[in-house]
Amino acid sequence: MSWTKRLPELQFLILCTLCCYAFLELFIIPNQLSTFSALSGIDLILTSFLLSVIVAIISVIAGVGGGVIFTPLMLAFTSIDTLIIRSTGLVVAMFSGLVATGPFMRKGLADIKLVFLGALPILIGGFGGSLAAIYLSKHLGDTGDSLVRLLLGLLLMAIAVVFVLGGASTEYPKNSERSKLGTKLKLRHMYWEDSLQKPVKYKAHNVRTAICLLFVVGFTGGFFGLGGGWAVVPVLNLVMSVPLKVSAATSGVLLAMGNSAAIWPYINVGALIGVVAAPWMLGQIIGGIMGAHILASIKAAFVRKVLIVMLFATSIKLTARGIEGLFGVSIPII
Amino acid sequence: MPITRKPPVPVSGIVYGEIIYWGTCFSALLVLYGTIKSFLEINSAVSVNYLLDAVLSGKSVDAIWMSSKLQQVPNTSLYLSTWASGESLTVIGIAVGVLSVIPAIFFSAVYLWRSNNHIFAIVALVSGFLTLLAPSGLISP
Repeated sequence: MSWTKRLPELQFLILCTLCCYAFLELFIIPNQLSTFSALSGIDLILTSFLLSVIVAIISVIAGVGGGVIFTPLMLAFTSIDTLIIRSTGLVVAMFSGLVATGPFMRKGLADIKLVFLGALPILIGGFGGSLAAIYLSKHLGDTGDSLVRLLLGLLLMAIAVVFVLGGASTEYPKNSERSKLGTKLKLRHMYWEDSLQKPVKYKAHNVRTAICLLFVVGFTGGFFGLGGGWAVVPVLNLVMSVPLKVSAATSGVLLAMGNSAAIWPYINVGALIGVVAAPWMLGQIIGGIMGAHILASIKAAFVRKVLIVMLFATSIKLTARGIEGLFGVSIPII
Repeated sequence: MPITRKPPVPVSGIVYGEIIYWGTCFSALLVLYGTIKSFLEINSAVSVNYLLDAVLSGKSVDAIWMSSKLQQVPNTSLYLSTWASGESLTVIGIAVGVLSVIPAIFFSAVYLWRSNNHIFAIVALVSGFLTLLAPSGLISP
């Protein structure tokens, strides 16, 4: 943890946040919430902040964006309106990536050319996805909510399968084929691999296919409030043959940019509730900086395994809730 | 002989990263201030406890805002016109972090152009304009 000493801004942010929450806990008279009578509003915000820090560290290391963890869990286990969950999910997906952009670029882990190559498909797809989500919510009401839960459950199951199959992905993929577009765009780069203590060279392949896939990823990310990092890593690593660490870092940066457009339709319909999103955003910033520095020196395999189990469990619960809402049947799953 | 020196990092990437990093850190401070202000405001149009209760009880977005003292669904212009309130300051703080992407993209495009990556500079400019279009509310469902 020696890197924390080199980051006075991180220490300052942690100090400010802890002072703020300590002030609220000590000097504001707490009103118990009627929905959770054991908790006051301040307790709920503090709990959200701590959970967000943990989610941010895990998601940055795995390169998936916190939305993949936050949105499905909240949709599966709370009755909060889906639009609010999805808008907060985008904040969660975005801010760890935004703040991690600095350390990733400084270390040369994220590739700026790959970021801009994926920017347009992710931006257009993400914005279209959030517009579609709001349209569906306005016109289908509760049926739309159940439909979203069911579709997300199925999508999560597919993502979990991608991560299981992603075991075939290599940390340093080799691809001997020549890519004309990749060569024309000079999509080749080199980064310093701390764990090997040497530079690693790579070239990007299958550029056209990757652009199409990134558009689909952007749409689903904006629609479900997931971000899109869960699929950007496999696209970069498995399709374009980019090393795993560069894929994870570039994915974080790319989804932060894409979600920055997707969040605005939610803000313009009042779906972003500041007091709900704030602790999650702060946790993502602090956890995001921590995760970005941890990623440079560790292997992400363990985090991925945890993520796979969680994705399967959440997808089963979500699918059950979706079926319950759509068909009026009761499926007894905790 | 194997290379043992760290390869240079593109300036366009560093510029992009630093602008977003510091923009996000600044926005975090705004959000913290907004949070404290929300809890300190006693006669606010949208009290924190009302909002948290309404959200947790599963009310829809429209129902939450229409049954508050505000009696209208907020959008960007309303947040800006009531910028001094805690809730608005918090949302504006989040928006500042999100908006830090825009100058980062444009400055990065300049450095990409200078380093002869003209296609990526143009793509960056288009992305920047699209990101600018989103907050305007010109495209809405």
